[in-house]
Amino acid sequence: MATLSIKGVRKSYGSLEVLSNIDLELEDGGFLVLLGPSGCGKSTLLSIIAGLEPSSGGDVVIGGRTVNDVHPKDRNIAMVFQSYALYPTMSVQRNIGFGLEMRKVETAARESAVAGAAELLQISHLLERKPGQLSGGQRQRVAMGRAIVRQPDLFLFDEPLSNLDAKLRVEMRTEIKRLHDRLGTSVVYVTHDQVEAMTLGTKVAVMKGGVIQQLADPQTIYERPANMFVAGFIGSPTMNFLEGTLVQDGGGLVLKHAAGALVLTGIEQDVRSHIGRPVVAGIRPETMSAAGGASTLQGSVDVVEPTGPDTMVIVNVGGQMITARLGSRDRPKLGAEMTLAVDTAAVNLFDPESGNRIGGDV
Amino acid sequence: MTNISRRSLMKMGGALMAATALTPSLSFAQAASINYWHTFTSQSEQAGLDQVMALFKAAHPDIAVTPENIPNPEFMAKITAAVVSGSRPNVSMVSSERFRDLLAMGALTDISERVAGWERRADFDDARFASISLDGKIYGVPAFTFVDWMYYRKDWFEEAGIAVPTTLAELYDAAVKLTDPAKGRYGFGLRGGPGGQNPIINMMEAFGSPVLHADGTIGLDREKAIAGITYWSDMAKNAAPPSAANDGFRQIIEGFQTGQTAMIYHHTGSYQDIASKLKPGVEFGTMAIPAGPATRVARLAYAYNTITSDENADASWEWIKFWGEPDAAIAFLEKTGYFPASTTAAADPRITGNEMYKAAAETLGFGIPQPSFPGAAGWAESTVLQAFQRILIGEITPEQAVDEMIAGLAEATA
Amino acid sequence: MSRSLNMPGSRPPRTIWEAISPFRLIGELSETRYWMYLLLLPSALLITAVVLYPTVYGMQMSFREMRLNRPDLGNDWVLFKHYVRMINDPIFWVSLRNTAVWVTSSIVLEFLIGLIAALALNRDLPGTKLLAVLILLPYFLPNVVAGHMWALMLDPRMGVINDLLLKVGLLTEYKAWFADPTTAMAAAIIVEAWHSFPFFTLLIMAGLKGIPTDLYKAANIDGAGAFAQLRLITLPMLKTIIAAAVILRVIGLVNSPDLLLILTSGGPGRSTQVLSLYAFQMAYKDFNFGYAGALSVVMFVFLMLFAWAYVRLSKVNQE
Repeated sequence: MATLSIKGVRKSYGSLEVLSNIDLELEDGGFLVLLGPSGCGKSTLLSIIAGLEPSSGGDVVIGGRTVNDVHPKDRNIAMVFQSYALYPTMSVQRNIGFGLEMRKVETAARESAVAGAAELLQISHLLERKPGQLSGGQRQRVAMGRAIVRQPDLFLFDEPLSNLDAKLRVEMRTEIKRLHDRLGTSVVYVTHDQVEAMTLGTKVAVMKGGVIQQLADPQTIYERPANMFVAGFIGSPTMNFLEGTLVQDGGGLVLKHAAGALVLTGIEQDVRSHIGRPVVAGIRPETMSAAGGASTLQGSVDVVEPTGPDTMVIVNVGGQMITARLGSRDRPKLGAEMTLAVDTAAVNLFDPESGNRIGGDV
Repeated sequence: MTNISRRSLMKMGGALMAATALTPSLSFAQAASINYWHTFTSQSEQAGLDQVMALFKAAHPDIAVTPENIPNPEFMAKITAAVVSGSRPNVSMVSSERFRDLLAMGALTDISERVAGWERRADFDDARFASISLDGKIYGVPAFTFVDWMYYRKDWFEEAGIAVPTTLAELYDAAVKLTDPAKGRYGFGLRGGPGGQNPIINMMEAFGSPVLHADGTIGLDREKAIAGITYWSDMAKNAAPPSAANDGFRQIIEGFQTGQTAMIYHHTGSYQDIASKLKPGVEFGTMAIPAGPATRVARLAYAYNTITSDENADASWEWIKFWGEPDAAIAFLEKTGYFPASTTAAADPRITGNEMYKAAAETLGFGIPQPSFPGAAGWAESTVLQAFQRILIGEITPEQAVDEMIAGLAEATA
Repeated sequence: MSRSLNMPGSRPPRTIWEAISPFRLIGELSETRYWMYLLLLPSALLITAVVLYPTVYGMQMSFREMRLNRPDLGNDWVLFKHYVRMINDPIFWVSLRNTAVWVTSSIVLEFLIGLIAALALNRDLPGTKLLAVLILLPYFLPNVVAGHMWALMLDPRMGVINDLLLKVGLLTEYKAWFADPTTAMAAAIIVEAWHSFPFFTLLIMAGLKGIPTDLYKAANIDGAGAFAQLRLITLPMLKTIIAAAVILRVIGLVNSPDLLLILTSGGPGRSTQVLSLYAFQMAYKDFNFGYAGALSVVMFVFLMLFAWAYVRLSKVNQE
């Protein structure tokens, strides 16, 4: 178990910069998720942490030790790959014990370690098989067994669940969380799946274009996204962006938009600098309701999508489409005029030019 | 269009067919195309062939000859395959030791009648046809002669004060004297590799053990054969380059050309190749094969041209008899060194007036033909040569080698 | 006839033309289970003509008297005469031993050089593409050309190899490589290895492309060094390809005498005489096709046994 610090790590291939000046801190026992669309540099960063790829600059510090020039095998890390990277010609037993075998651990000790890991992962009955004879979920477990058997300081997961079907993915996600809770080892976990990020991470780094957009706990990321990219990337359905102008109306703030005005009460941002200027209001679909209230949006119903527990309603507000997550009983008629009440305390205001969240928290 | 009935169409077709049936005899009778399998490899041989073909083309513009080079070691395999599969060449060059094998497999055509009616038949001794005839039937026309002789470094001999040897004993002494491995100089460029079988057989005969006896029986006289083999293997060990066991035609010629060896045993066909590197009469000379204790064995072998396919046989005959024309034969000699088979051509002043050809002219007087019987070539190549090489690498003694040869001969002729 | 081929539910022909239309008949035939055999027929005929017939013909030849230059002996059946002769033929046994040496040494050398070359070329470094083409060049040379080329390079008088070794100081005088029984075989094996190692390179490179790079990353983290990765990951993953390559090369080496024919003709003496060369000489120099056929049958049987045993021992057909 150890802390991880990334200090000013850069990576470029010729003139192409894929990581620029990354700074990260992960506390001992923490679970850091690197989240982002493909090509954002998250896997490269993981490879640099593992030592599989050299960085172009900066330091990787694991457990207080700078490991820039340390071979992967000496970093005391374990990695689970998207492809699982199981050795096809070896039995499950040998696959799991391979790291120990290479470290010249005695056979008896090795076997008991493998047996322990196998038991933890409920794959004791598969030890004699070859990877080719296993299902996807079983391979996943073997890959994890190979990682945990060595009791490393740091686990690295590279999109470990993306090759599984939806049901297994949920199951294994839970499994990983349970393992982390149980072992308490620090984890760096790469994914493009926001649900995995939100459920697993104690800390999430949202990346784009080789830059960390926001590094925070999942709740902050969700509720107070640092910019419109993070806001739009996290959450499903995605956050609504309502364009308008921020005006001071008496004591309160009002967002004037194409189809009226939204009274903003309880805004948790310092937005004084933007009064009288265009802003974008980020409104999460679930912060709206069909009931009336002080802050409302009016528009005509464009699409109604019942999903079972909820009903997604898309409302045309002066030409801007706003998605609201309503209760399952709310079934407005298509084309009908409707009023949506907005919990404006949950609204985030962004600067449309920079895309960044305006001001700091109040 | 409807006027053309089916019947009129058929009539037209019939007329067309009749016309095409007639035309070949009118338009193609003049031209014939034949292919010619030969084993010429060196540049000088190729030049000689080109020369003969040019002369032939001038004399017979109606016959197109397509030469096809078949490397000598592959010749028997190729022609066997051609005969078995029915894709025979029109004309093939056949050396005397291959005659009996080819005849036995039915590759050759009897041309006794054509030869009998040939206007140049009188230019050739009967003996010239001996190694291409069996039971009174003739199967080929001699194209040129392989006259066995030797080349020697005249300058080295003079420097060492050695006379040109006339006996095998003298040959051995001279070869040993001229050998100095420290200088990279060897007295004799002995051919112990591919193609080296004939001198080995000649040595046995020179010491009194011919393979084919005058009465037609086949067999070796063990003691005399051992004497011949011992002589030749001593020569290889004491006077030849260490590469002797693998030296074939290219190697012995190069060895002589580059001043590694003082003498080589070959035939007149390599004369131009040697003369292109060394100065005739100054740096090198030619001599007749020295006499052995029992007899003098210098082979006169002939390269024959044979008709190997019934197709275009008339054109083939024109081509093979053309090689007997003195102009063609001498043109070929001048490019290569191969002697004419025709006595008339051999009497041409262009030959008799040349000092360097004297040894060959002499050899024509006492030269003898190759022993030829079915299996002779195979036995010589696989048994005799192999056994001799095994002596050179110290695997067996000359006695054991001769025993192997005797056993192999019995097997080949069983 | 055509009625019986009708599939249930297929539409009956409307006109007489349609009834005899070949397209319709083929279409219907293609729906039956005979279609498979019909499609196989051309290739089956071809294989029979070019593989099966010659093989069987060659086998029956080995039980006959067949000497092309001795028509007087006839072509009678002689049962096992040739096989009995073989047992008592010292050249056969020497050839057999030489074949084993020739094939084993060549394969080992070719495999090692081929593997090293493939591993070197598999790195994505600048210039490897060009190098890959260059390294494959020997394989594109026909045996005959390669043979003559090396015969010249190894020539005791003007060979460049002697020159180089002399300059480096490994030799004190020119060596006649092919006149000495031990160096003749060794030199021939080196020439053969030079000529055919690209075959292994080519196949191994193709195999290496199929090994996921993640495995090496995982192995790096697991602490496996370069040699352990080669031994425990690369080679086991290439097992099938290597097995196939070895079998193909062994068949090629056992069957083709051309390189030795050019370099040594089996000499000096019998020191490089191998079975294929012996059979070739028996057929085309001695014209004894019966005995040559028997030699070929023995080679055939050895090859079958080898392939079977090799597949067994290497366990390539097991999961």
